[in-house]
Amino acid sequence: MISFSQVTKRYPGGHEALSGVNFAIEKGELVFLTGHSGAGKSTLLKLVAAIERPTSGMVSVSGQNVGRLSRMAVPYLRRNIGLVFQDHKLLFDRSVLDNVMLPLDIAGFDRREALKRARAVIDKVGLLMREKANPVSLSGGEQQRLCIARALVSRPALLLADEPTGNLDAGYAADIMAMFRDFHQVGTTLVIATHDDRAISALGGRILHLDHGRIEEGSA
Amino acid sequence: MIGWLRHQKHALTAALGRLRAQPVSSLLTALAMGVAISLPGVLYLGLGNLSRVAGDLPAQPEISLFLDNPVADTHKQAIAARLKQADIAEARFVPRDEALAALSASQGLADISAGLTQNPLPDAWVVRPRATSREELARVADDLGKLPGVAETHLDSLWADRLQAALAIGRAGVWLLASLFAIALVAISGNAIRAQVLARRDEILVSRLIGATDRYIRRPFLYLGALQGLLGGLASIGVLAIAGGILRAPVERLAALYGSTFHLLAPTAIEIAAVLALTAAFGWLGAWLSVTRALQQVEAAR
Repeated sequence: MISFSQVTKRYPGGHEALSGVNFAIEKGELVFLTGHSGAGKSTLLKLVAAIERPTSGMVSVSGQNVGRLSRMAVPYLRRNIGLVFQDHKLLFDRSVLDNVMLPLDIAGFDRREALKRARAVIDKVGLLMREKANPVSLSGGEQQRLCIARALVSRPALLLADEPTGNLDAGYAADIMAMFRDFHQVGTTLVIATHDDRAISALGGRILHLDHGRIEEGSA
Repeated sequence: MIGWLRHQKHALTAALGRLRAQPVSSLLTALAMGVAISLPGVLYLGLGNLSRVAGDLPAQPEISLFLDNPVADTHKQAIAARLKQADIAEARFVPRDEALAALSASQGLADISAGLTQNPLPDAWVVRPRATSREELARVADDLGKLPGVAETHLDSLWADRLQAALAIGRAGVWLLASLFAIALVAISGNAIRAQVLARRDEILVSRLIGATDRYIRRPFLYLGALQGLLGGLASIGVLAIAGGILRAPVERLAALYGSTFHLLAPTAIEIAAVLALTAAFGWLGAWLSVTRALQQVEAAR
């Protein structure tokens, strides 16, 4: 599903976030991306979603060379990838429901079908009672669940999560991780960047450890 | 195709929502546009009405032929014979006594004619040639002027030609002014849309991340620009209607003093539709320029 070969990412200013990274992730895998902050976890996820482009080497997602993707093609790649952000990136000018509807509006779904799908996924993350609320009134854990609902509503084959439990206390974090396990069980490929060791030991799975832009394999 | 229509509807709804969300600034923008467009609009309508005045004047140009005073009878007969030729549609002889009587009857000129001890006016012909083009008329007038016994020819269409030439300058001025104000309209719309784009930076960035195309992001802003332009067009028509209402009575009074039943003509439905279509199109253009540029900036600042 994802393969990196000799991928190097150097930011303007000379900082090298990834140095000659090689790995492959198969369809349906659950992979944790670990490493201290600044090790290159976020950069790696951004390369997969074509938010950044590699300085050299090849990033391939579902057989597409993402580094060479034209500007016009990037949106269609992203529609097949669910993104979960540490800072949620929710829109506070609209309701919970409308936040979850956004990816479906973008993809041009029929409104009634979109409503049905959005409600189903909001129910799955346990926010159905709050669908009319403004996200600003939600707790940190609820906001994270809303972000996950938005990432999943278009049923992507691949979910990328960057520190999804970074700002949450243990109880919320366990909830979120349990949710990820469910998605893994229905066949979604998950790549989760985290340094939450409890979560990793609870879920098990493959570990890619990043250290100063280089990768080491492991498992839990 | 259905997806495309759905996107259009979605964008239009979003644009209407954004317009309603900021009623005061939308209204002010529309007013700025309306005032800008109404200036060439007033000039256009004014010229239209003026050329209608010009159009009411005798469309058939006439040549006045003033004879020598006194004129030899042989010459007089030769001229009459010449005026029966095929290039003359109609010729009317005006004896000098009749001309003086007409002069005396004219308003304000009676005093002058009363002071005359003898009739200073020559015999004259009023000739309507068959040709109507300016070159042909000039040729006929020239031809008639060379006849023995003719003192002077006067082509009556000359002043009408001058008026038409002045109106042509006016029309060119309307287009010039309209072009300048169209540019102003694009600028006003672009500025309004730029503010909207910057206010929606977060929405644009998030939409990008979850797979929105540039076109999807641009579309509501384009609709917003077109709607804003449309409102500007409506405002300008409002301004024109008010101006017409204020001017109607004094213009009709002036016309009545000249013994005319002239009244101001409002723009036709087609003209109104054209103004609205153009303002919407220029609003759209301004939005396109602005949103394309702002999207590049948002991208660069990420």
